[in-house]
Amino acid sequence: METQPAKKNISSYIIQSQEDEIKRIALELHEGVGQTLYSLFTGMQFIQTAVDQPEMKDYIRDMAQMMEKTIQEIRLLAVELHPPALGTLGLLPALKSYLKLYTSTYGIIVDLENEGKEVQIRERERITLFRVCQEALANIARYADTMSAGISLRWEPGQLSIMIKDKGKGFDVDAAMKSSAGIAAMMERMLLINGKCVISSKIGEGTSIDITLPLY
Amino acid sequence: MEYKGCSPGGSVRIDQACEKVLAELECDFVGLALQNTDGPDVKWHYAAGNSNEKYKRITVRYGKGIAGKVISTGRPMYVDNFPDNIAGKALEYPIMLAEGLKHAYAVPIHFKGIPKGVLLIGNRSGQPVSESRQSAAKEAARTLEKKLNG
Repeated sequence: METQPAKKNISSYIIQSQEDEIKRIALELHEGVGQTLYSLFTGMQFIQTAVDQPEMKDYIRDMAQMMEKTIQEIRLLAVELHPPALGTLGLLPALKSYLKLYTSTYGIIVDLENEGKEVQIRERERITLFRVCQEALANIARYADTMSAGISLRWEPGQLSIMIKDKGKGFDVDAAMKSSAGIAAMMERMLLINGKCVISSKIGEGTSIDITLPLY
Repeated sequence: MEYKGCSPGGSVRIDQACEKVLAELECDFVGLALQNTDGPDVKWHYAAGNSNEKYKRITVRYGKGIAGKVISTGRPMYVDNFPDNIAGKALEYPIMLAEGLKHAYAVPIHFKGIPKGVLLIGNRSGQPVSESRQSAAKEAARTLEKKLNG
């Protein structure tokens, strides 16, 4: 009798649990904390109109402004954790919105190309693809030392191919695989959804990450 | 609210001031970030010794990144031996990544008494920012404050 669960199942369970937890926190922040703060904010605005003392009025206005900023922060945090577009609009809109944030955070311009028509894929696969692209782009920001990068999506019958390329300083893939868990995790994540992630890099020439996912 | 340093003539003066800080403090990079006039976000407006133009596109939220943190707390911040010994992730320090800085010291710049900007000096090599350079950076920030306040 088999008592030991397969390693693949354990990895899959851990990653899935982590994603579920991130989604739960993001939703709780947005729908729970965010909404409660919004109710308090409208309440404060109401109090502000009802108060006659000018000093008190100003004080309440400042508090309401601070609360408005906090609501905005909570919303941004929730979007950063788990982009709502990923569940509602799909992978491409979620990536486009992430790239905007990426360029304004790290100053790296990313050229996005899309070939073919986006087809519906399961949420679990969408999240995995998004996370792998996010990791690849984060690595570019951290290590590549480049001003620009490119990402291209190709929707073909039976297969989605994503290529993330940069002309940065490149690295030794084998050495990085041994020392960093990030790259191995990208490959592992893709394997768990029956996809593939191939990383090629040349020092001084740049890096290319090819992701493929069979579409049924 | 308007920063005089952002006006066309003023920007030349601030650029020169950054170059002067770079030369006097013998550091690799000098950057000046200002909080946007129409919102809480913070942008890098001027730099000297920059290795690329990424800083021009970087915007951090109030309270985030070195610039956002220095403005929100109103206190200087020292990043030593980046990315080791940092609070949080390396990705939370965009200007350090963009300019490949190893050590940085950032001081707030006040506008009418409120922290609205940041002067950052940084080194790419293994040279930490000494206490005397940190004091000099504070002095330079005060000079810039005067220029910005007109």
